[in-house]
Amino acid sequence: MAKKVLSMEEKNERRFMVLTPVISVLLALIVGAIIIGCLGKNPLVGYSAMLEGSLGSMAKISKTLERACPLVFTGLCAVFAYKCGVFNLGGEGQFIMGGCATAAVILGLGVDGPGALALGLLAGIVAGAIWGLLPGIMKIARGLNEMITTIMLNYVAMYFMEYIFKNAYSDQGLPKTIAIPQSARLPQVLGTHVGVIIAIAFGIFIWYVIFRTSFGFKIRAVGMNPIASRVNGFPVKRLVLLAFIISGAIAGLGGAIELLGKTPFRLADGFGSGFGFDGVAIALIAQLNPIGAIVVALLFGVLSTGGTMMQSVIGVPTAIVDIIRGLIIIFAVAGMASVRLPKIKAFLATWGARTNKAEANA
Amino acid sequence: MAELLRMENISKCFGSFYANRDINLEVEKGEVHTLLGENGAGKSTLMNVLIGLYQPTEGKIFMHGKEVQITSPGVAVQHGIGMVHQHFMLIDDMTGLENIILGDKRHSSPLLQEADDHAKIKELMDRYGLGIDLNERVADMSIGMQQRVEIMKVLFRGADLLVLDEPTAVLTDLEVEGLFDIMHSLTDEGKSLIFISHKMREVMKISDRVTVLRRGKSVETVRVSDTTEQELADLMIGQKFTENTYQKVEAAEKVAFELKEVSYHPSIKHGGLKDVSLAIHKGEIFGVAGIDGNGQTPLAELVTGLIKPESGEVIGPDGSKIALFSPSSFIDAGLGNIPEDRNKMGLVGDMTVAENLILKQTKSDRFSFGHGAWLKMSAIEKYANRLKDENDIRCTSVRQTARSLSGGNQQKVILARELDAHPKLLVAVYPTRGLDIGATEFVHNQIVAQRDAGCAILLISADFDEVLKLSDRIAVLFEGQIMGVYPGANPPIKEISLAMAGK
Repeated sequence: MAKKVLSMEEKNERRFMVLTPVISVLLALIVGAIIIGCLGKNPLVGYSAMLEGSLGSMAKISKTLERACPLVFTGLCAVFAYKCGVFNLGGEGQFIMGGCATAAVILGLGVDGPGALALGLLAGIVAGAIWGLLPGIMKIARGLNEMITTIMLNYVAMYFMEYIFKNAYSDQGLPKTIAIPQSARLPQVLGTHVGVIIAIAFGIFIWYVIFRTSFGFKIRAVGMNPIASRVNGFPVKRLVLLAFIISGAIAGLGGAIELLGKTPFRLADGFGSGFGFDGVAIALIAQLNPIGAIVVALLFGVLSTGGTMMQSVIGVPTAIVDIIRGLIIIFAVAGMASVRLPKIKAFLATWGARTNKAEANA
Repeated sequence: MAELLRMENISKCFGSFYANRDINLEVEKGEVHTLLGENGAGKSTLMNVLIGLYQPTEGKIFMHGKEVQITSPGVAVQHGIGMVHQHFMLIDDMTGLENIILGDKRHSSPLLQEADDHAKIKELMDRYGLGIDLNERVADMSIGMQQRVEIMKVLFRGADLLVLDEPTAVLTDLEVEGLFDIMHSLTDEGKSLIFISHKMREVMKISDRVTVLRRGKSVETVRVSDTTEQELADLMIGQKFTENTYQKVEAAEKVAFELKEVSYHPSIKHGGLKDVSLAIHKGEIFGVAGIDGNGQTPLAELVTGLIKPESGEVIGPDGSKIALFSPSSFIDAGLGNIPEDRNKMGLVGDMTVAENLILKQTKSDRFSFGHGAWLKMSAIEKYANRLKDENDIRCTSVRQTARSLSGGNQQKVILARELDAHPKLLVAVYPTRGLDIGATEFVHNQIVAQRDAGCAILLISADFDEVLKLSDRIAVLFEGQIMGVYPGANPPIKEISLAMAGK
């Protein structure tokens, strides 16, 4: 590629794309530390416990990765939809339906082996896609707001899953399904299931599709200006519908991988719970960048697994972690919004000019 | 008669541009005073100064002979000035009564005084012959009825001077009659009205006096009884310079695009088309003149495939009848489009200049491998840089977002994209709206060059000067109908200007 010649403005823009989330995380950690301090504990000890608990050993790292894996998928699900201007809040439902379909296909057909694994993954993708397609049709045919329909479909999915694990494929009447047979599970690599690698590869693939293909180009164009896209001959409705389907399929694949890769390899109450909205948050913090979404999902994984350790070492509730996560979202969104304010823009421009000059002098 | 309002030497500039310059306007008690002028003559600016949305750069305003400072719309209401907007400012889900009393500050009580208000409105309705069902939701009302609610809103706030901004534009003929009756009863009761309209017939019928604005200046105030439609049209259009900047050409025989008796929602006068037939030849600029809102938008949407006609035929550049109405099929047939609103319809503002330049070609082999599977970023950038240099698009880099460009440069991006595809038919809608002289000149030169290269061009513009300057033939659109087609060389300006006013 030709050497990038970036204007000053662009340089600043790019810098803030990266800086905003980083600063948000730092600020959230500082505020979190103050809260921990107010509880009479030492935040530094707490944070080091968090790191120790999430990244302290190979086993802990793989646990963190496994925790982050589904969030990568729901994050990508949100990123893809938002890139096309579709506010899919149904990542959770699509994720759950993916898991349900995988369970139903493997347990229902009674198959095992790698064939069952492939079939299960496929079923997850299809179910997620259908669960994304439904609000898509409702939006295009009747103009229903997808923010509402997708949330409602989350509940439908949740109760459908309850039917699956309590009735259809219940393990001896207990509220959980029979476990997926050993041979149909995802293989282990370096202590984690291979789904983690799939997730990361998939994130890079989605980045490529969005930023380097004609299809992604159109998806972005529709997301940023549907009217101009229509005038310039793009099939806007079809692209929006495809965005729904693909976004749902990504979450569905996530659900299938979660079921096939992670202990206890069964559906039970709480499967996928909260992942959809974490995905939305991840997408926003990552500023709709798929690769950024992987990084933020990993951070969320660290917070989750490390939070437990922090609780046991310094005795603060894990809710602190939720607070920190919430603060990251608030700071990131506020940061993105404030960068657009005229006063801050002017300040950043002068600041940028100064640092650029410094760079030039160096 | 007593003078109610006097605006003296009002000037309003935006930057270096004078939207109003030394305008004088005097309105007497109990008269209908019309403001007449082309688009951009300064009517809206003047009225926005009057109702306090703009502060005049220079000039004074007197009400009842006393100088007033109208610093906000609220102050205007206090002085008894009320505006009935062309686009109603009503809340659809509220009833007529609720809309009328909305935001009224007569009562100091925090509770609604509906009974009291109701009685007052009833009295006003009886006095001015405004029949309104106060309990009906605005959404369920006819347009004419909604307008009455708007008028009542203003009266309820005690206005003595009502500004009616193109009130007839949205009405049917029958409703216009009703409105005129109301206007008469208002003036009979001593209210004064400022009536804004382009329609000569209505102006002659309802007004007592007319002030003509042209290019931001007040040209003359005349009594309707002392003038004729022709004289008003002349005052409004002024002396047109038909300097031959561009050579006008005789059209080639070959028809590039044709509409045959095309109709689209023909009953709607300002958003429809009625039996429009026109043929655009290869190598000519076919200009469509007309006052804004007389069918230009549906015409533009029709010839770019955004809407489908209800009846009639459209013949494409290859001579066959078009069956499929979609933008992409029109583009495939060789359509280039400079749309009405460049930010909304022409560009994806948050994408880069380069991306906007290849917007229609993302799948071509030139810019991608495998039919769009992998975009050739360097080829795209090289191409964008070439177009940037050829068209003098001023930006620091083609990776800049299109939004960050100035209006003229944005338009250059669109022109570069559309013309580089060598269209057979180029549709240009208001192509120089909001551009400075230099950019306007550039756009005009490009359009004429395209004509000389054999492209058929449909130019739709509310800027009459632009149509006169460029067009080889001129059609006039009025209330969705073609009033006539005139030659572009030595055009009969008087005839055309009357046709624009519906005569």
